[in-house]
Amino acid sequence: MRDRSSSSDPGLLLLISLSGGPKHGHAMLLDVAGFAGVRLGPGTLYGALSRLEEDGLVEALPLEGRRRPYRLTDAGLGALRGRLTGLNAAVSIGLARVGNR
Amino acid sequence: MKPILRLYPVAWRRRYGDELSDLIDEMPATPATTIDLLRGAATLHMRALLDRVAPRLLPAGGSPMPTHPLQRHPTATALVAALITTPTMIFVGLSFLAYQLELPGMQTWLQPFMDGLSQVPRIVDLFLLAAPFIAFVIAAVPLMGLRTERVDGELRVTLALRARTLNLIVLAVCVVVGGFLASHLLVEFLFERP
Repeated sequence: MRDRSSSSDPGLLLLISLSGGPKHGHAMLLDVAGFAGVRLGPGTLYGALSRLEEDGLVEALPLEGRRRPYRLTDAGLGALRGRLTGLNAAVSIGLARVGNR
Repeated sequence: MKPILRLYPVAWRRRYGDELSDLIDEMPATPATTIDLLRGAATLHMRALLDRVAPRLLPAGGSPMPTHPLQRHPTATALVAALITTPTMIFVGLSFLAYQLELPGMQTWLQPFMDGLSQVPRIVDLFLLAAPFIAFVIAAVPLMGLRTERVDGELRVTLALRARTLNLIVLAVCVVVGGFLASHLLVEFLFERP
């Protein structure tokens, strides 16, 4: 069965990627593929990115040549921290339960 | 693949079109990428539609669970539903006793009523048939709640079901009575027409 657990939330993957510093679209794709093993498509990437920008979680920086980098906002950092904390709690409980079997 | 970009919403394309176009240039043209771009366009159109429609339907912060007046009075709606379906329940119950179980004397006792029923306007038949279904909807409404909220920028619609004993009993009665009557009429229509 295909593992969709990490690929089902491209927004979260992009926030994690940008928490490592500003990146443009292609760099985000490579970064996400590196740390999550997920190959986001260009439509998925920019769909999620536009939503994150609309929600004020990321912001665009001035163009660097033809590429526009994005960075995490303070609100984005807070949102990411909250999501990861929640996931971490679920993962800890899940691992503990799996370990007990 | 670039012609696909024309399918994206105009306003979105003005803002992100060039960046997406540059990114496409850096990627191999594969069926998966094409499908991803098509899906992205469809998602954005859907999102734009929801963004236009949702504010008219929802208060900020999401809707509270019990929104319909019927949902605030589950017991009253269950009693109203029971009242609506009672004539059908009596009709079906007596018919079952007389014609299915063939209790002695029941058919003789019931026949004048059945004859009388065939003389009354068709609307009475229709009411007897529709009543369990109407009652079902009325009793079911307080058990269901649609909650819509935004989570991480995505619109989420959650269906919540409540278990209210009285409503569930009425629902079960409606299903049994309505199902019996409908199946009886169906069999009669299919096999017993002159």
